[in-house]
Amino acid sequence: MRNLIAKLALATAVLGSGLGAAAADTANIWVRADGSNFMPRIVDAYNKAHKDQIKLDIIPNAEIIPKYGAAAAGGTAPDALSLDLIYTPSFAAAGQLEDITDWAKSLPYFASLSPAHVKTGTYKDHIYGLPFSADASVLIWNKKLFKQAGLDPEKGPTNWAEIAADAEKVNALGGNIKGFYFSGNCGGCNIFTFTPLIWASGGDILSEDGSKATLDSPQLRGAIDLYRSMVKKDLVPAGAQTDTGANFFAAFAAGNIGISPSGAFAIGALNTQYPNVDYGVTFLPGKDGGWSSFAGGDNFVVTKGTKKLAVVKEFLDFAYSLEGQTILAKYGSLPVRGDIAKDALRELDPRYQIAAEAMAKGKTPYSVVFNDLINSANGPWTQMVNEVFFGDDVDGAIANAQETMQSIIDQAPQK
Amino acid sequence: MTTITATTTAPPRARKLVGAGRRQWIGLIYVAPAVALVMVFFVIPLGMTAWMSLHNWPLMGEHSFIGLDNYVAILRDTRFWNALKFTGYYTVIVTIAIFAIAFPLAIFIEKPRPFTNLYRTFFFMPAVVGFASASLLWSWLLNVDSGLFSPAAYDLGLIDKKFNLLATFQPAFWSIIAMVVWKVAGFTMIILMTGLQSIPQDLQEAAVIDGAGPFARFRAITLPLMRRTLALALILSVAGSILAFDQFYIILRGGPRNQTLTAVYWIFNQSFVSFKLGYGAALSMVLLVILVALSLIQLWLLRKPEGLD
Repeated sequence: MRNLIAKLALATAVLGSGLGAAAADTANIWVRADGSNFMPRIVDAYNKAHKDQIKLDIIPNAEIIPKYGAAAAGGTAPDALSLDLIYTPSFAAAGQLEDITDWAKSLPYFASLSPAHVKTGTYKDHIYGLPFSADASVLIWNKKLFKQAGLDPEKGPTNWAEIAADAEKVNALGGNIKGFYFSGNCGGCNIFTFTPLIWASGGDILSEDGSKATLDSPQLRGAIDLYRSMVKKDLVPAGAQTDTGANFFAAFAAGNIGISPSGAFAIGALNTQYPNVDYGVTFLPGKDGGWSSFAGGDNFVVTKGTKKLAVVKEFLDFAYSLEGQTILAKYGSLPVRGDIAKDALRELDPRYQIAAEAMAKGKTPYSVVFNDLINSANGPWTQMVNEVFFGDDVDGAIANAQETMQSIIDQAPQK
Repeated sequence: MTTITATTTAPPRARKLVGAGRRQWIGLIYVAPAVALVMVFFVIPLGMTAWMSLHNWPLMGEHSFIGLDNYVAILRDTRFWNALKFTGYYTVIVTIAIFAIAFPLAIFIEKPRPFTNLYRTFFFMPAVVGFASASLLWSWLLNVDSGLFSPAAYDLGLIDKKFNLLATFQPAFWSIIAMVVWKVAGFTMIILMTGLQSIPQDLQEAAVIDGAGPFARFRAITLPLMRRTLALALILSVAGSILAFDQFYIILRGGPRNQTLTAVYWIFNQSFVSFKLGYGAALSMVLLVILVALSLIQLWLLRKPEGLD
């Protein structure tokens, strides 16, 4: 394989030399482990077709931020990285990223790039990150269990009352079968799958610019009541209370769960690893209908001062081509170019279309302290969701989280 | 060393100076590798930590000198002091628990009896497992849906409904204590056993002839003669417990509801979740001072009383 690549590289180099080009350049790119399925494929495809090369490193999810920070301090940072989009504002605020505003705006399809990515990739009106991979939250249900419970297996729940009623019916099958699953001690999982319930009902947990925490809303309380009532009726496995995200996907994949909020990544993962699970995909609904989704994924960011900008640009151009978008979609990421998303998904599982639509109209909270507020296992959001779903003092937990989140926002460095 | 001293015992005055200078020079070479190791892996990082603690030092971006501001902030950081309080509580409980198990085990395996080596190996085995691997193993054992304890108790009909051991503070805390004792008691047992074996048998026999009972012998002979061994085992256990992190991070994530955040966990969070390396460094310096002070106190408490060999 390597030999082949080398030969191809040599061949292109020889062809290129006729045009007077310099020797091939190699740029180093990092990606978090979530991208370990699609990233090597697209890098391989790029390297085969281009003279300049990309060297890819895959870093464990939890390590990529500290590792990048250490590498940047030591002058060995990669030329670019595929970064969880919610971190883009804080990286940009730290002065770590190259301003790519002019390049971004020169792209003819700039306007049809995933808006959630572009929004988080923009800091103080400059663009530091462009969409690379995408994942949107959706609701998935087990068709086999729906059928057994006497429900229509082709119709997923469309509002909160239906979620609760369907979960209860599936749960009544008894044995190991449970109606509903969520990771009850995981901030990241719940911002991804629980807040869309609130958004779809017209509420929010942060103000638009991320400067105010707005937890105390009837929509949040309503969504909490939905989860609490299902916990109280024993529709949720006991392990959910302490699940820090390890079972976020695995619980449903085992085939004993009726309904579970999840992400578009689950479509690829279920199809390839659990082909026996027959499932449906629908939107995360609001209280009385409507829907919303968390538009997540990775932004492509460039390390400030890199000398390989040309290679990096060429690679991103390739990723944005129809060929690139199709490779990404096939191996687990949604397309990030709205104008060719349909073409990229044409050959794939039709359930991707729902996820792609969710992505296009999805929402992403904006904050420079997202890690502290939401993702940290010991942060206010994680603590609150665990307390309000399983504890006794809902009011106290909300008030406490509201206060802590606001104080973290207020203490954040204002650069 | 002894050969060098032997050959230079009585040289003339002029040559003595040369010899002494040469000796020092050779001595320096002998200790140089150790000094280099200590410098590179201890003194320089420690100096670096102290230096960083005086800065606003984010994980990324520019750092700036802020003097003692980090230390002033620590005084107001109630969550750090709460974490320290919990660490102290955990240290006391786990140290008592380890000694309560390790001492009887040490007495049990000290005397030669059938299968002694088998018992020793058996009890010591968990000590060779790393803390992180042991934590992963126990986090499976303790899992309410797919683990061992709760599902087994349920299947045996001991409980009506599966009980999530990690969901509330008391069962979660005591599960960790059980895991740490399982993991560490074997090591402490070996240390204590060497102490027991170093007590001359004739002292015990003399005491038996004088009519001392087992309890009196333990109190008047065994314990005093094990002073040094106990000091070693105690300092290792206390220092290890104050630096506890892996098990709380892997099994509990500081939960339920952040009630099991230890001091090191808080330092980790400040440094790598909130990206405040400077503040994390300042917290580390404070923890270092506390740990050194505690170790000195223990050494002083267990010092050799005057007049006793």
